[in-house]
Amino acid sequence: MTLIQLTGVTKTLRGQDEARTILSGVDLTLEPGESVAVLGRSGSGKSTLLSLIGLFDRPDGGQYLLGGKDITRVPERRAAALRSAEFGFVFQRFFLLKHLTALQNVSMALVNGQGWLPRRKRRTTAMEALERLEIGHLARHKPPRLSGGEQQRVAIARALVRRPKILLADEPTGALDTDTGNLVVEALRATTDEGCALVLVTHDRDHAAKMSRVARLTDGVLA
Amino acid sequence: MIRLSGRLRSSLIIGLQGIRARKLRTLLSMVSLFLGVLAVVTVQAGSVIAQRALLADLELQRGKDGTLLMYLPSEQGASAITLDAVAGRDDAVAMTRAQAIIGEPGLRPVNEGGVPIDQAGYGPPPQMVCDDHGNCVEQSEQDDEPKPVGQAVELSLIGITGDVREFRPFRLESGEFVDFDSAPSLAPRLVINKHAAEAFAAYSVPAEMRITGASANPTPLIVGVVDDGGWGPTAYVRADELLNWTEPAGLSDPNYGGGIELLASPTATDLEQILRSRFAANDIPTEFQVETIDSLEQMGSQISLMRWIFLGMAALVLLIGVAGILNVGLATVGERVEEFALRRAVGTPRFLLAGIVLAETLLTGLLTAAAAIGAGVVGLEAASRLFASREPFLANVAFPWEAGVAGVIAGLVAGILGGLIPAIRAARIPIATVMRA
Repeated sequence: MTLIQLTGVTKTLRGQDEARTILSGVDLTLEPGESVAVLGRSGSGKSTLLSLIGLFDRPDGGQYLLGGKDITRVPERRAAALRSAEFGFVFQRFFLLKHLTALQNVSMALVNGQGWLPRRKRRTTAMEALERLEIGHLARHKPPRLSGGEQQRVAIARALVRRPKILLADEPTGALDTDTGNLVVEALRATTDEGCALVLVTHDRDHAAKMSRVARLTDGVLA
Repeated sequence: MIRLSGRLRSSLIIGLQGIRARKLRTLLSMVSLFLGVLAVVTVQAGSVIAQRALLADLELQRGKDGTLLMYLPSEQGASAITLDAVAGRDDAVAMTRAQAIIGEPGLRPVNEGGVPIDQAGYGPPPQMVCDDHGNCVEQSEQDDEPKPVGQAVELSLIGITGDVREFRPFRLESGEFVDFDSAPSLAPRLVINKHAAEAFAAYSVPAEMRITGASANPTPLIVGVVDDGGWGPTAYVRADELLNWTEPAGLSDPNYGGGIELLASPTATDLEQILRSRFAANDIPTEFQVETIDSLEQMGSQISLMRWIFLGMAALVLLIGVAGILNVGLATVGERVEEFALRRAVGTPRFLLAGIVLAETLLTGLLTAAAAIGAGVVGLEAASRLFASREPFLANVAFPWEAGVAGVIAGLVAGILGGLIPAIRAARIPIATVMRA
């Protein structure tokens, strides 16, 4: 079954003076295990598209089906549950909490009010996620002691710890050097081998080329 | 229920992590709140302790709350009837009142009229002697030759038919209280109050006890000292020991207010009816006063206004503490915008974010309350040790649990008030913050 199906999705931002259309009639489908790179210039609406897919925001028009269910106007409470159960997020800045260890940063996604796991189970699950990213040995380290690549891998582990069906990555290599960026993109792509769908927003054509499909966003229109 | 519990636990876990991550800030919040909570704890503790002390004094002077108090006549055989009515009952005690002079024979007491010994020497009050018809004359007009003043103390002599402490909790200062288990002694065993003890410390010649109308002057035996809350020298003695030396009518001297006080437990409702019936049968007036002691009510009105004034002041101090928490809370939320946006991104509902902030401020409030209560306990203990000798009500005083509860409530209320606005702000942080960063 198609995992995500966007049909004619539009989004307009209302500024002080005039409304500005960010997305205009976007159609996008995503199958399990598929990876899609979204390329586009700054301000083309890539992040807005990602925030609609990730239920951070709602479209003004069109339809959004998730696993065949219409979630175009899903209320925030349900959206929070869906974000927890279906999605994983990786951002350009890693957004790791400095006062927590790598393990605790991964565990935080398990302490979000959506179900309850005992402490030991949380630790085991978070440790497994870190080990999948081959950074289990960094579990006790706090973010300031980690390199940029290590921090981004901790962030990916956090995104994967609930075993999401869809991984959304918003320019995850933007703050990394080329080699580290390649490693991170490879780690992200590897998640699709386990059936996770990946949407990668990037400026880097080389990284985009590693995805199974590339979509270009120009002035709010996806091609 | 499990779902709710999970969210509650999540709030507490994340809240504790937040507190641990910002120890200095939490400490600053606590400092600003500490004085407010301590003020509430102190006012409540002070109020309860003052209430207890006041109640204890009232009970000492008037009787325990709920005690039935009857003022009975002593004339025309009423004393004998009263003593007979309460004999063998453990739910009532009769108290007769006469005047006695204890000391060297043939001397006038140093405190004529039974005034406190520190007021003696200002000249005796006119001594009145009344006959059965109520015609009174000054004693000096009767005596041809006034006796010389010497080593003798005049005091109120209270004859009791049972252990009166059941109704009036006299505080035993030394020795023992009147023993009712043994046979009555020919030498009346006296328990004197502190004023009498002071008098006998200065004039210690308890050679004989003169009671008006007694067949002879017995030699008393002082067995103990009590604090009875009274103002003048007083001695308590078994009524049956006095009856070895005087008639029942002599137990109550009409020249000194002479009636009989009868203290009874609230359940002794039959006693009033029995006495009225017997008085009526002996042509004794049956209109005597009966009241129920309501020390709590009397005391409540005295202390409540003061307590409300102080609580109002404490609430103001607490508000300043709340403003401190609010200030720190708003600053912290502003600093943690990305964290809260991220938490929303990973599926944390808005109200749980609010719960996290509230959990932090509530925990801060509780920690502060614990510190303030601890300080209150230590402070009270220190005050008790340092000032108990000057202020007896502080001796062995326990920290009142009501003050602890008030402190916890103050901490919780401050936590909620100080955390509410930051919590609402945290819940409103848009997730897109993490996208735009």
